[in-house]
Amino acid sequence: MNKLRLGFFKYSCCMGCSYFFAYVHKHVPEVLASFDFVFIKLLSSKGTPEGPFDIALVEGAITEAWQVDELKMIREQSKKLFAIGSCAVIGGIPAIKATTPELDVEKRVYKNLSSIHSIKPHAVDAYVKVDGYIRGCPPAERDLYEALTSVLTGRKPDFPQYSICIECKLKGNICVLIADNMPCMGPVTNAGCGALCPSMNRACYSCFGPMKQANSPALAKKFKAMGISRDDIIRKFTEFGADTIEFRKAVEMVYED
Amino acid sequence: MKNPLKPIKAIIKGIRPEAEGVKTYTLSTEFPFVAEPGQFNMIGYPGVGEAPISLSAIMQVGDSTLRDGSFKHTIKSVGRVTDFLKDFKKGDELFFRGPYGRGWPVKKAEKKDVLIVAGGVGLAPLRPVIQIVLNQRESFGDVSLIYGARNEKNMLFMNEFKIWEKDISLYITVDEVSDVSKSPHPPFTKGGQGGITKEWSGGINVGLVTDLLDRVKIQPERTIAFVCGPEIMMRFVCRGLIMHGMLQSSLYVSLERRMKCGIAQCGHCQHSGLFVCKDGPVFSYKEVRGLPDGAL
Amino acid sequence: MTGERTFQKFKRLIPKKAFLLWLDSLRKDYKLIGPVKTGNHAVFKEVDSSEELFMEYGTTMLSPGKLFLYKPNEELFRFAMSGKITIDEIAPIAEKQIIIGVHPCDVNAILYLDRTFLGTFRDPHYEARRKNTLIISLNCTRVSENCFCSSVGAGPFLHAASGYDMLLTDFESEYLVEIKSRKAEELFGLEGRSAGRDEMRLKAEKEKSMKSKFKKAINVSGLDNIFAENMDHPIWQQTAEDKCLSCANCVMVCPTCFCYDLRDEMSMDLKTVTRYRCFDACQDIMFAEVHGGNFRQRRAARLRQFVTHKLDQTNQYGVFGTVGCGRCITWCPTGIDLTEITREIQKFKS
Repeated sequence: MNKLRLGFFKYSCCMGCSYFFAYVHKHVPEVLASFDFVFIKLLSSKGTPEGPFDIALVEGAITEAWQVDELKMIREQSKKLFAIGSCAVIGGIPAIKATTPELDVEKRVYKNLSSIHSIKPHAVDAYVKVDGYIRGCPPAERDLYEALTSVLTGRKPDFPQYSICIECKLKGNICVLIADNMPCMGPVTNAGCGALCPSMNRACYSCFGPMKQANSPALAKKFKAMGISRDDIIRKFTEFGADTIEFRKAVEMVYED
Repeated sequence: MKNPLKPIKAIIKGIRPEAEGVKTYTLSTEFPFVAEPGQFNMIGYPGVGEAPISLSAIMQVGDSTLRDGSFKHTIKSVGRVTDFLKDFKKGDELFFRGPYGRGWPVKKAEKKDVLIVAGGVGLAPLRPVIQIVLNQRESFGDVSLIYGARNEKNMLFMNEFKIWEKDISLYITVDEVSDVSKSPHPPFTKGGQGGITKEWSGGINVGLVTDLLDRVKIQPERTIAFVCGPEIMMRFVCRGLIMHGMLQSSLYVSLERRMKCGIAQCGHCQHSGLFVCKDGPVFSYKEVRGLPDGAL
Repeated sequence: MTGERTFQKFKRLIPKKAFLLWLDSLRKDYKLIGPVKTGNHAVFKEVDSSEELFMEYGTTMLSPGKLFLYKPNEELFRFAMSGKITIDEIAPIAEKQIIIGVHPCDVNAILYLDRTFLGTFRDPHYEARRKNTLIISLNCTRVSENCFCSSVGAGPFLHAASGYDMLLTDFESEYLVEIKSRKAEELFGLEGRSAGRDEMRLKAEKEKSMKSKFKKAINVSGLDNIFAENMDHPIWQQTAEDKCLSCANCVMVCPTCFCYDLRDEMSMDLKTVTRYRCFDACQDIMFAEVHGGNFRQRRAARLRQFVTHKLDQTNQYGVFGTVGCGRCITWCPTGIDLTEITREIQKFKS
């Protein structure tokens, strides 16, 4: 079988998804056997971002204008394009600045702004059509394989669209939110990690981002009733999901309160 | 003990493109497959999952339509499973299990007038009913089919209309004319606003299925209606027929729901205590009218 | 289970210690599962000795029926994809097990699951485990904050005629042991004082005193109609907006919720596909989605589906979907209480 051409593109992020993809996950040899890594900066400075690609994986949030142009070009040249990692899927860590005016952020970091051309941080799907989301920070292994095998077998991928609580209960964990009064973001967070943090008796901090139609204001209210400070509640909803409609609703509610 | 969820292998004996994005797959398996009209199978493929698909042709008990025990599914590629099937070829394997559910009460319709109303791919589950009618024409009174689709590109079984119209009255309508010049079936007649309603032999009306209800002669007390299509269409067709004096209990509809098991376990198709997979998919309108979260 | 030959339904008073020793003696043939204290909570899990058991527990988060009979995750088939596809049906594992200390609500919940999995279509995995499981129920000695089993006839004392093996009632230093199945009769060799009319009277008094301790109640008369007539009651939308997170905790902890999803997972080398089953929840946004529409797109509709499936829809199996265990109230992050919703709707009615 001919190997499929794969491109891995990095925008504003820690490059952790590239690293995860190239070295860490369980089936690196199988992935290498099925895909030709035409472009991945982490492994080689060679290669060209010019396609065509059978599959493009895009990590990182879009925070500069040139990224938009390149991303659109990649989309045109790729049969399938997946956003990988929280930054690409929901904005993630780079999107923390989404709630602050852009110029304020630039001034805080740089002395000379003449060469700085940052734009508001957005997820990849703000600019191009995406065939699927491999969520998480680091990304969910199962979802990565689902994306890759779906491309290899020509089917539509299937990603979970429910809360962390379902995965958590399937594992039989005692609920840390109810039993231990921890401000767990699980109820509004999209599944995929297998409830990693709650399984370690820690509150979920929503690195997978909001699940579709999540009712985050109701959870923010609950946190408030638990005695969590206003600032901490805002932090919880802006750590990864500051640029998402679902979590913005909670933040707006807290601000208005 | 055999797991009822265990899929059975079937071979694709033939594929016929039916309409835009719709193909009819003739399948056969190791044993002669028998089912009731209106029943469905869970069609699937490993790695892709399963989806409930109604049968569009079956070997019926005491009937000879498909003598060899093969069966047909007419499938529109829209979801995960159905989209995957679109690239299948003759000779390929796929998996199914079934038949499941309660079908159309054809026995009840004998000696009565039968009104079949279908929209879009909703004609597929009614095709076995039409086959029975054609095979045992003398058992039924007047039989009419009112069929509507978005446009003639989305219309199923057009090649069979010629045969059907010998025995049953056909009323065909489209929501919109997609491309008059290229249409092989002129002329279009205006149905909605007092125009002439043509029975088939090439004539397609423009307008909703419900517009045609007024043009079919219905004797409410001796008619039984089988309706299948988008739920919102079934709602208006049923309400229209009730206006014509038909009883809720002589109207039958077939519901489409998400299903994972088909055997009243997975719970996806539940509505107010009913399992659509087991208690349906065919219900009398009386049973499902005003069903919470439905459109009927 | 049902249809067994007749057996002697004796009732004996057995010192607790002796009873637990008898349990330990069964460990060579059976896996012993029971309530164990972990932190401030009790969980049903396998124990090495009856000493680990915490028989005075109030309630657990997950019910034993949905941990050890109907499993959260279950592999069903394995497909080998190279060349001609072959299906390997994974055989049910029929390990012998005893579940001790199952409260009446949870026994009733297991009887409810039987209706789903041992109905027209029988699930071989569930059936194998059910056959190989000895259920020893324990009448309640404590009423937890959210219990309302007495309102729906599922507790605090068990009255089901069959479908389980033994029933224990706490008589201070002894258990009143009632044999409820042939299997139990054969296994139970302990001699003890036969319980007579006095003991049964004492049991009835205990039940009466337990019933007076309930803080939560629900009036079930006419619920079917009341819900059906109030599908658009503002309480649904209001609760869905103010409280409901669609997180599905209610469904996951519910001992009678039986919905599942079938999922396929393909290995990265594309050679094998595993089809497995796991719990699914009607609160999940995709749950009722079909092409071109979602029958329960709105959160309010999903919330209503859960509540009405528990409290009306008795046409499904002829019984309530709730056993009054109160878990959905306890483990709801925002404290949605189906008894309150019901009261609100009943108020509107009257």
